[in-house]
Amino acid sequence: MFKMSEYSFMAGLLSVGLALLCYVLAFASVRLARRESALALEGGPAGAVMGGAQSVEVTRGPSGLAGYGSLIAWLALAFVSAALIFRTIVVGHGPFANMYEFSIAFAWGVLAAHVYFERRYRLRVLGLFALPVALLLLLYATTIPSTFDPLVPALQNNLLLTTHVAVAIVAYGGFAVAFAAAALHLLASYTGSRRLPRLELLDEISYRAVVIGFPFLTLVIVLGAVWANVAWGRYWGWDPKETASLVTWLIYGAYLHARVVRGWRGNRAAWLLVLGFAATLFTYFGNLFFGGLHSYSGLQ
Amino acid sequence: MTQVSRAAALERPATAAGVVSELDSDAAFSPSGALEWLWVTFTSMRLALALMLGLALLALAGSVIIQAPAGIASDQDTYNAWLVGLKPRYGGFTAIFDKLGLFSVFTSVWFRGLAVALTTSILACSIKRAPTLWKASVHPRTRMTDTFYESAPYSDSIATEATAQDALATTQRVFRANRYRTIVDVDEKSHTTHLYVDQNRWAPFGTVIAHLAVVVILAGAMVGSLLGYRDEGFAVPVGSTVPVGGGTGLSVLATAFSDSYYENGAPSDYSSSLVIYRDGVQVASKTIRVNDPLEYEGTAFFQSFFGPAAVMAVSDANGASLYQGGVPLLWSSDDDSRRIGQMTLSAQNIIVYVVGVASGRVDPNIRAGQMQLEIYRGGEQQPFAIETLTQGQPLAIQGLTYTFEREQQFTGLIVARDPGQPLVWLGALALVLGCFLVFMFPNRRIWAQIKARSDGTGEVHLGATARHDAAFAPEFTKLADQVRLAFGPAA
Repeated sequence: MFKMSEYSFMAGLLSVGLALLCYVLAFASVRLARRESALALEGGPAGAVMGGAQSVEVTRGPSGLAGYGSLIAWLALAFVSAALIFRTIVVGHGPFANMYEFSIAFAWGVLAAHVYFERRYRLRVLGLFALPVALLLLLYATTIPSTFDPLVPALQNNLLLTTHVAVAIVAYGGFAVAFAAAALHLLASYTGSRRLPRLELLDEISYRAVVIGFPFLTLVIVLGAVWANVAWGRYWGWDPKETASLVTWLIYGAYLHARVVRGWRGNRAAWLLVLGFAATLFTYFGNLFFGGLHSYSGLQ
Repeated sequence: MTQVSRAAALERPATAAGVVSELDSDAAFSPSGALEWLWVTFTSMRLALALMLGLALLALAGSVIIQAPAGIASDQDTYNAWLVGLKPRYGGFTAIFDKLGLFSVFTSVWFRGLAVALTTSILACSIKRAPTLWKASVHPRTRMTDTFYESAPYSDSIATEATAQDALATTQRVFRANRYRTIVDVDEKSHTTHLYVDQNRWAPFGTVIAHLAVVVILAGAMVGSLLGYRDEGFAVPVGSTVPVGGGTGLSVLATAFSDSYYENGAPSDYSSSLVIYRDGVQVASKTIRVNDPLEYEGTAFFQSFFGPAAVMAVSDANGASLYQGGVPLLWSSDDDSRRIGQMTLSAQNIIVYVVGVASGRVDPNIRAGQMQLEIYRGGEQQPFAIETLTQGQPLAIQGLTYTFEREQQFTGLIVARDPGQPLVWLGALALVLGCFLVFMFPNRRIWAQIKARSDGTGEVHLGATARHDAAFAPEFTKLADQVRLAFGPAA
C-alpha cells in the first residue's frame, strides 16, 4: 500500500508536469501562429481578428494540445487522489499530519479547483498559472521523506484533524485558482495580449473562486479555534500560524468588500488577490521558519 | 428597494462632501454635524478597507517578529533581559521595534485602536444596511419602468399572442418550477402586469449576521480577558492536592500520571488522573489526556506538561507537621543540569528551594536519592542554610525537621475559565453560517413586465441587475429560454 501511494504520487507529479507542458506548448503555438498570420497580413486589423479567433479556438476548443493538457490534468488529479487514498489506508488517519502529506493534499486541492473551474468556464489557459502551483507543491513534497510516524498526542483527534485540514484544502484550492486568474489578468492587461481571455472573465473567475474559498477559510479558522480550545485550552493564542491565517482572512475579506461594495475590478483587485495568495502560502509554509505550536512538519 | 436604487444609496460620497463643506463653512462646533461626520466616516468602505488591511499588516508583523511571552512585560528587568537576548537577531532594530510596540503587537495601542475602529465601522455599516436589506426582502419593489428593461445588464423580450392572464400564468409557472418566489402586481391604469420573482431572499442577511458575528466574537474575547482566569503553569505532584487560584474555590488531586512513547521515542500519550474538590468535597474526577480535558462548572483542566517532583515533609520542634506533600521541580538551571522547585512555609516566613539533578545527569554534590535544600528567610538575598538531604533521613535545620521522602512525578496542567466562550462560539457559528449563506445561496431577483394589447400582440420583458453574482448569466439565459419555450412555437 505504501509503495502504491508512492507510485501514484510519482505518476501524479509526472502528469502535472506533462499537462503543464501541453498548456505551455499550446499557448506558445498560438503565439507563433498569431505572429505568422500577423506577418502575412502585415498586422492589419484582419490579422488581429484572426489571432483573436485562434486564441478562442485553442483556449476553448475541444481538441489540440491544450485538450491533451486538460485530459492529463484530470489524470493527474486521479493519480494524486489515489496517492492520498493509499496513504490514508497506510497511516490510518487523514493524510494531513506532516508537510509531506499536507503538500500532496494541498496540490490535490489546487488540481481539483483547477479542473472544476476549467470545466465550468471552458478556460484551459487557467492551467498556465494553476498547474505550476500544484507542480511546485508536489516537487516540494519529493524533498521531504515520505516516512511516517505515529501521531503525537496533540494531533490525536481524528475528527478535527480530518475536518480542519480537509476544509483548508478546499479554501487553498479556491485561492490558488483565484491567484491563477488574477495572474493571467495582470499578464493580459500589462501585455495587452489578445491571446488571453477577456479581462472581465478572469476577474469573474477570481471572484467566484474567492467566494468559494473565503467561507471555507472562515470554517478552517473556526475549527482550528475549536481544536485549540480542546488541546491547548484556549480558542485563540496568537500562535504564528493562527495569526497568519487571520492575515489571509483579512486580505480576502478586504478583497470581497472592495469588489462588492466599492466596485474594485481590474489590476487593483488582481494585485490584492496575488497578495492574498502570498499570505496563503505564508500561512502554509510559515511554520517552517516561525516555529509555534503548529510545528508538526516532520522536518526536524 | 431595487439594485439600482441601492447602488444610488451607496453613492454617499456626494453627501459626505456636502457634510464636510458644511462643517468647513460653519466654524462653530455643532454636535449633530460632528455625529453626522462620524456616521459618514465609519460607514465609509474606504475606511473599513484601510482598517482591515492595516490590521492584516500589524498581524503579519506579529507573526514574523518574535512576541514577548505573556506576563514578561510587567517585569521591567525580565523584559530588558529578554530584549538583550534578541539583539543578535534584530540588531539595531531591537530598540525601534520595542518603541513601536512590535514585540507585543496584539496588546499594542495600534492593534487595539484599529480593532475598535473596525468594530465601530462594522456596527455602523450593519445599522446602515439592515433596513435596506429588510425592505428588499420583505417589501421588494415590484414595478420597474420601461427604461429599466431597456438598460438592465440582463434583459430579454419574448413576443406572445397570449392574453395578459395566460402570459402571466405561463411566466409564473416557469419561475415557480425553478423554485422562485413570485409576486404579481397588476397596474390597471397602464394595463401592464408586473411580476417580481426572487430566490434565497433571506440570504443577504448573511452579510449582517456575519458582520455582527465578528462583533460578538470580539465581545466574547473581551469578556474572557476581563473576567476569565488562566494558569498555564499549574503543577500538581502525584499524590498531592493543590488549590486552584482565581477565586474558583477548587482544588485538584492528581492520583496518577503516565507518559508513554512509541518505539521511535516520540511521545504517544500523556494522561493524568484528577480528582476535583470544592470545600473538601469531591465534585468531579476524570483521567485527562491531551485533546481530552476535564471541565467542571466552567473551569477546565488541560494536560500540558510534566516533570519530576520531590515529596517533602517539614515539622517543627514539637513534631507538628508544617508541610507534607510533593514539591514540583518546575524550573531548570541555566545549564539544564538541575531541576529546581519552591516550597513556602508562610507561617515561618521561610522559602525553601528544593534542588534535584536532572534526569540523565550526574552531579558530585547531589547524588542519586538526594535533594539539596537552599533555605531563605523571606526578603533576604542569601540562604541561611544549604543542606543535602538523603531520601528517608530527617535533618534538623534551625529548629525545623526536613525530610525528603521520595521522588515523584508532577503533572502540569493548564487551568482555564473563560466566561466569554459562549459568546465566542455563538459568534463563530454565526460567522460561518453567515458566510455560507451569503456566498453559497445567491439572492436572485428578476423583474418581468407583461404587456398584452387588444390587437392580440404582446410581449414579456425580463430584466435583472445582479452585479455581484458571477454565476447569474447562465441562470438568466436558462430561465429566459424556458419562458420562451413555454410560450411555444407561436411565440
